[in-house]
Amino acid sequence: MVRLSLRWRVALALGLGTVVLAGVLAVVTWNLASGYMLRQRETSAIRQAEVNVQLVDASLRTGSEGLGDLLSGLTSSSDATILIERPSGWLTSGRQVDADVLPPALLRMATDGVPAHQRLNAQGIPVLAVTLPVDGGESAYVELFPLTQLDQAFRFLSTVLAIGVAASGLLGLGLGHWAGRRALRPLTELTQAAARVVGGDLRARLPDRDDPDLASLAATFNRTADALEKRVRRDARFAGDVSHELRSPLTTMANAGAVLRRRRDELTGTAGRALDLLLGEIGRFQRMVVDLLEISRDDLRPDEVPDEVVDLGDVVRHVVAVRPGKPPEVDLVAQPPLVLADRRRLDRTVANLLDNADKYAGGAVRVAVLRHGGRARLEVDDSGPGVPDDQREQIFERFARGPYAGRRGVDGGSGLGLALVAQDVRWHGGAVRVEDRPGGGARFVVELPEVHR
Amino acid sequence: MGVQRVEDPAAERRMGPVDARLLMVEDDERIRLALGLALADEGCEVLEAESGERALELLATASVDVVLLDLMLPGMDGLDVCRTLRARGDQPIIIVSARTDTSDVIAGLEAGADDYVTKPLVASELAARVRALLRRRHPDGGSPRALRLGDVEILPDEEVVRRGGAEVHLTRTEFGLLLELAQARGAVVSREDLLRRVWGYDYFGDTRLLDVHVRRLRRKVERDPDQPERVLTVRGRGYKAVGVE
Repeated sequence: MVRLSLRWRVALALGLGTVVLAGVLAVVTWNLASGYMLRQRETSAIRQAEVNVQLVDASLRTGSEGLGDLLSGLTSSSDATILIERPSGWLTSGRQVDADVLPPALLRMATDGVPAHQRLNAQGIPVLAVTLPVDGGESAYVELFPLTQLDQAFRFLSTVLAIGVAASGLLGLGLGHWAGRRALRPLTELTQAAARVVGGDLRARLPDRDDPDLASLAATFNRTADALEKRVRRDARFAGDVSHELRSPLTTMANAGAVLRRRRDELTGTAGRALDLLLGEIGRFQRMVVDLLEISRDDLRPDEVPDEVVDLGDVVRHVVAVRPGKPPEVDLVAQPPLVLADRRRLDRTVANLLDNADKYAGGAVRVAVLRHGGRARLEVDDSGPGVPDDQREQIFERFARGPYAGRRGVDGGSGLGLALVAQDVRWHGGAVRVEDRPGGGARFVVELPEVHR
Repeated sequence: MGVQRVEDPAAERRMGPVDARLLMVEDDERIRLALGLALADEGCEVLEAESGERALELLATASVDVVLLDLMLPGMDGLDVCRTLRARGDQPIIIVSARTDTSDVIAGLEAGADDYVTKPLVASELAARVRALLRRRHPDGGSPRALRLGDVEILPDEEVVRRGGAEVHLTRTEFGLLLELAQARGAVVSREDLLRRVWGYDYFGDTRLLDVHVRRLRRKVERDPDQPERVLTVRGRGYKAVGVE
């Protein structure tokens, strides 16, 4: 069974409640109103019949010549029917109704001299039958009053009540839905804010609330987010400061190293080997510090946004062209997509992916720029061992080298290349992942929002 | 501070002589020493100054080809030194800084520097940039005859630009940029090509350099730099000069 959301459950409960309440009200209204109307009609009908029967009675006593005229006069203005039991049979005036439709019990009461009334259906129309003794109790006087109008009124009333119940049910449902959403809005906002924090926006906060039920929730969330932001920024600033302070001694080391490298021939044996080691490590140290500064930069500068329109094809062509070594196959779609970018970071992304292929897979074999699902897409293929499933997220983490750990000493990478790629791509509003390349090897896929020409 | 010259024929054989006189303005003594030695290996003659004031003092009497300028200096700020030098003339300047933020790079270039490099860097890279900067006035395949760009007149031989008859003062970089665009005769020149031809090496990525110099150039040759009529941006592709005769 599908479990309804809280909001819909609130709405349903409110809807049902409204229907029940409106239903009870409608039933009570119906009973009171219909009973009252019916009693009114009966009272007036009986009074009318009593007046009529006195006229008939007088006419019978004086002789029956004018009885027919009197009866037609009494019934001419309405659909009423008057039946009088005479020794010769039933005398009927007005709308013709067979006396057989009258219940015998009712007639018996009239002949017994007891006035009575009853609602019944006479040949298709609802009527109120009023019986009175006439001619000194010798015969029965029956008058049938049609109830058609009252019936219509009842039908109208019941329709109005039914529609009312249905409408209030819907209204209750709608109100419940709205109230549910309103009541849950703080939760929705909390979810959205938390999602933004998870997505890297450390400045996401909840608005202050006057409502005491919600104020503490918002305050707690905001305090947590404040602490998190402060900590992340402090860590990032520290990394940035460290890198910055390291740049000066590194400049000295790198240049002193360059002087020594030119004179490598003058150093032989152990000293020469130690120098090689030293120079190699200076290079690696330098890359690491530069990458570390770059990677801590975004946390420090959340306001920077990509603002240059760049042809992704140009970027790839340029980066491939300036790299030493055998270039990979470059596969560009006609009219390569434009992206909104920081040119330096985009270049770095392509270069880092190519570096990665150099280090772990003997070099990239193909770099492609395509369009895919409305986004600009960059693919860097290698024919190396590929990346196992369980490593595919991990390799984009800082200093995470997974199965390659043992091999890093040789290549002198910073351990930050792919982490920088992930960060730069995310900064551009894109996504990066690694998958299997058809035919073996790994394929790094970068997707970026396309800007239209 | 002082004048150093390290003769090393082997270095000149490997790298080709730069044969440039540089002034290194840097407050960190160890960097001055190491970079000085390494630049000497590249064939440069290096003067040193430990502060901006000292650098300006030196330049009043000595002439150098390129000034290498650190930004974080005691006393007078590196940017102020750069502005002062630019106000004096078209002395080629390369900023060598530990600051890598976009805002710092743009501030440095806006102050009039021809190039901006970040520490840590090695002397060979710096020497390549010096060489490129010194070659900048002589673009390859340049036609020697005068070019006109509306009311702007370019005389490649005399290295003079006139606007409405009056001479406009351009730095080497700005002159190179204008000449490259004018010689393309209205065709779009990509950012890469401009960087390669004007700065003279495979500039990796940093197009901020180009954008700031185009902005500076526009201030000198456009009637309204915010609504350029001569040097236009072609979105996603590069720049072009309009109305070349």
